[in-house]
Amino acid sequence: MALSNASFVHRIGAGVVDLASTVGQMMTLLGRILQRSTPARFDRRELLRHLEFMAIESLPIVVVTALFSGAIVVIQAAPVVQRFGAEGLLGWGAGFGVLREIGPLLTALMISGRVGANNTADLGTMVVTEQVDGLRALAIDPLEYLVVPRFYGIIMTLSLMTVFSDLLALFGAALAGQALIGLSMHGFYNGITGGLIEFKDVAHGLIKSAAFGFIVALSSCHFGLATSGGAPGVGRSVKASVVMSAGGIFALDYFLSFVVP
Amino acid sequence: METPPPLTTHESMLVKLGRLVIDGTEGARALTSLFLRTLWFTFKGSRPKGSTAHQAFEIGNNSASFLALTMGFIGMILVYQSAVQLGRLVPDYSMVGANYGELLVRELGPTIGALMLATRVGAGMAAEIASMVVTEQVDALRLCAADPVDFLVVPRFLASLVMTLVVVVLSSAVAYATGAITAFIAFDVRFDVFANLSLVDFGDVATGLTKSIAYGAAIPICSCHCGLEAHGGSAGVGRATTAAVVLSSLAIIVLNFFISAGSFLVGL
Repeated sequence: MALSNASFVHRIGAGVVDLASTVGQMMTLLGRILQRSTPARFDRRELLRHLEFMAIESLPIVVVTALFSGAIVVIQAAPVVQRFGAEGLLGWGAGFGVLREIGPLLTALMISGRVGANNTADLGTMVVTEQVDGLRALAIDPLEYLVVPRFYGIIMTLSLMTVFSDLLALFGAALAGQALIGLSMHGFYNGITGGLIEFKDVAHGLIKSAAFGFIVALSSCHFGLATSGGAPGVGRSVKASVVMSAGGIFALDYFLSFVVP
Repeated sequence: METPPPLTTHESMLVKLGRLVIDGTEGARALTSLFLRTLWFTFKGSRPKGSTAHQAFEIGNNSASFLALTMGFIGMILVYQSAVQLGRLVPDYSMVGANYGELLVRELGPTIGALMLATRVGAGMAAEIASMVVTEQVDALRLCAADPVDFLVVPRFLASLVMTLVVVVLSSAVAYATGAITAFIAFDVRFDVFANLSLVDFGDVATGLTKSIAYGAAIPICSCHCGLEAHGGSAGVGRATTAAVVLSSLAIIVLNFFISAGSFLVGL
């Protein structure tokens, strides 16, 4: 980095300017994507192709992540539950943790790593091998053909995957409850449906996951298109994209936890 | 080794399942081999002086602010969410801080922190090594009789082992502080009531430390493995970086499950 010898204050300033410029470029990209969405002017067949690729290919890691993280919620809650002898509340505790926080958050992090990073790598490779310029030369708008289908593909993938992984994580939690503290599946189910978990808890998680999908989609498309400098450049873009997505996911999670009921 | 042809949708389930098993076994073998070679060169190797310190600086210094930021948010979210839920049952917030402290030490600090490190550090390592592989710098190292594992993997492994622990402790402290501030502002829990560490016992600290060290070892091994396996120009670098993030994150979640289950069964 050119500024490695600069003073601390310089670096903070440079960081802020960098961040502001990245956010500005992302907002510009968002504007251009929205402009092509109303009325819809993008390749619908590409959208379906990406949906299939993104969702089907991510199934194995989503399944593993959801089952294990559901089980971990129970493992961590088990000592507390045993201390108070409140086995009936385990379903409620795990359900609330999974539906409101763990399910959407961990699914978003895994999809950001699997789909978002892959998308950045794809677009970045096309940019550095001048395939995007090739499209422009053929009078094909790269945004309509490449970016907009991926953008909506990622948002839809993440929303659908969260529903799926919520269910799987609850199943993993029920299994762990049975294996570790001997709570029957039926007791766990009663804990979930006992009235303490309402529809708004499920909706809370799903609204957040759509917002996470938005930030993953936008940052992965932006960093992919902003790639420069050959093979090392592609690696740098992928890294910048996953870091931006993860930071954005946590920041959005914070604000939405307060705003969404 | 010949790379297998890409998956097509015309293959039967059985073929796919078989390929999954073979790929999985092969991947596990390669990871174990890399881990053992890394351990061997840790004691026998002759890497340049200062390379470990340089990597430690890269990992620690450049990830500290990112981790502090994300863990700070997580602290605020978790205290808020759990206190809201608690309020539906019994509106008594005096034990929120104690339970949060225990959960942070044994579970959230190491795991969420390491997941963040896996994206930040894992992607960085894989991108760097993969670029060196596709631009044939790694072959040049081999030509100079310098083993890439010794020169590239071992410094990152040692640095990550130490710095993961340091960064996790630092960012957990930030998460604890932001949690305390949230509890004070949103639920009127005084700081001296929140700062109740009576539930944190030896078992919690031991579990948390074991997790930090296990993650610190897993992240560089997974990421360097993906980086070293890269092939095929800039597309290959992208694939390797993606694979590194996915593999390190999965490794953390699976390790978390086994260490948590182990410590629960041992009774820590």
